[in-house]
Amino acid sequence: LSASSAREVSDALGRVRGCGKTLRARPRSETLCVLAQVLDRWRDPTSKTRQSLDHMLPEATGFSREVVRAGLAHALGGWTDEALRALVQRELGGGAGALDRGAVLATGFGSTSVLLAGALPTPTLLAILAPLVVGSPVLARTSSSDPVTARLVAASIAEVDPELAACVEIVEFAVDDFAAMEAFLSAECVVASGSDATLSAVARRVRPPRRFVGYGHRVSVAVLGSEALAPPSLLETCARLVFDVGLWDQLGCLSPLAVYVVAAEPPQIEGLAMGMASALAQAEVKLPRGRTPTSASAAFARARAEAEMRSAAGQDVDVYGLPTDPWCVVREDSAQFREAPLYRFVRIHPVADLAALPGALAGLAPHLAAVAIDGFGANSPKAAELAASLGASRICAPGRMQAPPLGWHHDGQGVLTPLCRFSDVESD
Amino acid sequence: VSDPARAALDAKVLAWMREPACLEWPQEEERFDRLACELFTFQFERCAPYGRFCARRGRTPGTVRSWREIPAVPTGAFKELALRSFRAEEAVHVFRTSGTSAARRGELHLDTLALYEASVVPSFVQHLLPELVRGIPVGPASAPPPRLRILAPTPAAAPDSSLSHMFGVLLRELGARGAIGPSGFDLDAGELQFRGWLRALEDALEHDAPLVLCGTAFAFVHALDELARLGMHLSLPAGSRVMETGGFKGRVRELSREALYGLLEERLSIPSSAIVNQYGMTELASQFHDSVLRFPGTLRRKLAPPWARVRLVDPATGDPVPPGEIGVLVIHDLGNTSSVSAVETADLGRQVEDGFEILGREPGAEARGCSLAAEEMLAGSGPA
Repeated sequence: LSASSAREVSDALGRVRGCGKTLRARPRSETLCVLAQVLDRWRDPTSKTRQSLDHMLPEATGFSREVVRAGLAHALGGWTDEALRALVQRELGGGAGALDRGAVLATGFGSTSVLLAGALPTPTLLAILAPLVVGSPVLARTSSSDPVTARLVAASIAEVDPELAACVEIVEFAVDDFAAMEAFLSAECVVASGSDATLSAVARRVRPPRRFVGYGHRVSVAVLGSEALAPPSLLETCARLVFDVGLWDQLGCLSPLAVYVVAAEPPQIEGLAMGMASALAQAEVKLPRGRTPTSASAAFARARAEAEMRSAAGQDVDVYGLPTDPWCVVREDSAQFREAPLYRFVRIHPVADLAALPGALAGLAPHLAAVAIDGFGANSPKAAELAASLGASRICAPGRMQAPPLGWHHDGQGVLTPLCRFSDVESD
Repeated sequence: VSDPARAALDAKVLAWMREPACLEWPQEEERFDRLACELFTFQFERCAPYGRFCARRGRTPGTVRSWREIPAVPTGAFKELALRSFRAEEAVHVFRTSGTSAARRGELHLDTLALYEASVVPSFVQHLLPELVRGIPVGPASAPPPRLRILAPTPAAAPDSSLSHMFGVLLRELGARGAIGPSGFDLDAGELQFRGWLRALEDALEHDAPLVLCGTAFAFVHALDELARLGMHLSLPAGSRVMETGGFKGRVRELSREALYGLLEERLSIPSSAIVNQYGMTELASQFHDSVLRFPGTLRRKLAPPWARVRLVDPATGDPVPPGEIGVLVIHDLGNTSSVSAVETADLGRQVEDGFEILGREPGAEARGCSLAAEEMLAGSGPA
C-alpha cells in the first residue's frame, strides 16, 4: 500500500464529507439494515469477507491462522442485527430519524476521522461502523500493524450498498507525516485508539468545537474464588482462562495478563498454575501463538528468567514451562503486579481475601478494562461490585473476555453517544 | 577480597587489564575462554541463586565447555536480588541504576573496586585518546595535553552512580600520569554549571588545548540549549572530541542521537567522526565504545575490551543470531568477578564487523494490540 499524501488525505475527507449529506438524508433504519447485513457477512465463516480475513490477516498481523479464525468466530457471534438495534435503542432511543429519544435530537458530525491502532480486527470493524450508524461519514487511517481489516470493512459495505460505502474512505500514511495527520485531524470528529502518549498528542490537535474521542491502552485480569479451583471446576476454569489468553496472543486489552486468586490455599494455587500451564501447552496445538517480534521475545525471555532467578534465590515463586516454550506461567508470592510481557505470559497472584482485592488491583485501576470473575458463589455480586468500583468497564466470566457485546461501554463510554451532538427539543 | 579462589581470579583479570596498551588489543580467545569458565565455576558455587538458576537450566561447571554456554542473568534480576559472589558483610560499595523507568533500582554489590577501576582507563584511552597508545600528541604537535570536562555529577554528589565513579577514576588516573591538563566536573547538585563550563571551554581555546567533553546525552542537550539561547557557536581547539553516554528516557526533552550529533557539530564544531558513544551499564564493570577515533574512516561500531565479549542471541531460543541479524545483547564481562559475569541486557543489537551496534526498539514497531505493556504502565503510575 502506498502512503497517502496530505493532499490525498484532504481530498478523501472532502469526498466523504460530500457523501455525508446523502447519508444524513437517509432514514437511520435503512442504514441499520445495511450495516446488519454487513455484520451478517462478517459472522458468516463462508463469506468472502471472512475468507479474505482468514487468508490475509495472519500474514499481515502475525497472528496464527487458527487464532484469527477462532477469535473472529468467538468475538462476532453476538454481533447480530438484533444486537445492533438494541444498541441504537439503548443509546439513541427508538426514533428512526429526527427526534431520537423522543425529544432529543442526535446528530452525527459532518465527518469522523478514525485513527486505528493495533492488529485486532473487531475493534476496527466497530470503529468504522459506529459513525455510520449516527449518520457520519468516515475517514479511517489504517494501523501499520493491520493494513488489511479496514479495507475489508469498506469492501464488505460496498458489497451490500455501494452508496453507503462511498461514505467510507481508508487512508494510509506515516504517523510522523505532520501535514497528512493535520489534514486527517481536520474532521469534525476524531476517534483515536492508542497509547496515552498518542491520545494526548492527538487531543492537543483537535480543538473544540471539534470532538475528540479517545480509547486508551488498557489491561484486563481474572479474579478467582476458591470454588473455581475445586477439582470438578479447575480444568474448566483453566481451559476458559487459557482461551482468553490465547486469542490474540494477549495483545487485546480484554486479554487477562494476570490471575488473582482470592482466599485460596497454596496447593489450590499451585493446582491452578499447573492446570494453566498444561492448558497453555495444549492450546499450542489448536491455537498456536503467532509471530513474535524480537523485542517482544526478548521481553518475554527476560521476564521469565527474572522469575527463575527469584525462584532460585528462595522466593516463593514457581515458573512453569521451558525457556523455549511459547507460553509461561509464573506463580507469584504476592499480589504485587509485575511486568507483563504479553504473548501468553500469565502471572498468578495470591490475594488474602476479597477485602484485600482493591489494594491488590489499585495500581491497575486507572488502566483496567475487563475483569473475569468466577468461583465466588454467593459473593459474586460483591466481587463484581468491587471490580466495577475499581474502574473495570466490563465484568464477565472466564472464557468470555474476548467476546465483548456490541454495546460494551469501552473505556466506560457509550459506543454511539460520544460520536453525536445532542439537541434537546422542548415540547413547548 | 578474602576468598583465596576469588583473589586468584581477580589477579589474573587485573593482570590482563593492566597489560601495556597496543592499538590492536588482541582478543586472545583461548585466554578469555579459560578465564570465563574458571569464573563461571567460581560464581556457580559462590553465588547461590545464580548457581541454582544455572543448574535448573542444565548448565553446570561440568557441562559448560565454552564461555558461550555460560547462562546469562537478565539485568532485571539485579533489581530483585543482591547478586554477590562474596559474603554480604564484605561489601565495600554498591552502585545503583538511575531508575528512570521503574520503581526499583538495579544494584551492583562490590567487595572491591579494583577491577572496576582497572577496566576504565585502558578502554577510555583506546577509544577516546588513541593517540596516547600510538605515542603521538592529541591534536596538533604543539598542543598542550587534552583537558577533560565532565557533564555528570561528581562521585561525592552521586556516590552510587557508576558513571560518576568512572569519571572520577579517569580524572584521577589520567591526571596522575600527566596525560591530561586542567580538568573537572561541570555539574553541581544535578545542575549544569554552564558559566564554569563555558569558561573552561574558552580557557582551552585560549591555550589551544584539545578538549574531551564527556557526559550524559541529556546533560549535553542542556548545555547545547544554553549555547543556543545565547546564540553562541564555539570552534573548539583542533583534536577536541566528545564522549556521550546514556539515553534520555524519563527526561524532559528527547532527541535522536543523530540530532544530538548535529547540534554538537553546529554549536561546538565537533564532527560526528569525533563523537564517541559509550555503552555501559551499572551491572557491568567494563564499557564499550564507538570505534570512530580508534579506527577512523571505518564503519562506526562498538568495540569491547579483550576481557569482555558480546553475544547476539535469538531471545526465543537463546541461540546466536546470524551475523547482521537483530538479537539481544548478552555480555560476558570478566571484570564482574564479584557478582555474575554473564548479563543479558534489555537492548537489541546487531553484529557489525568485529563489533556491534545498539538498536532501539524495532524500527516501525507500533504496538500490535491495545493491551498496555505493563512496564509502560508501571512507569506511568510511578512507584507502587
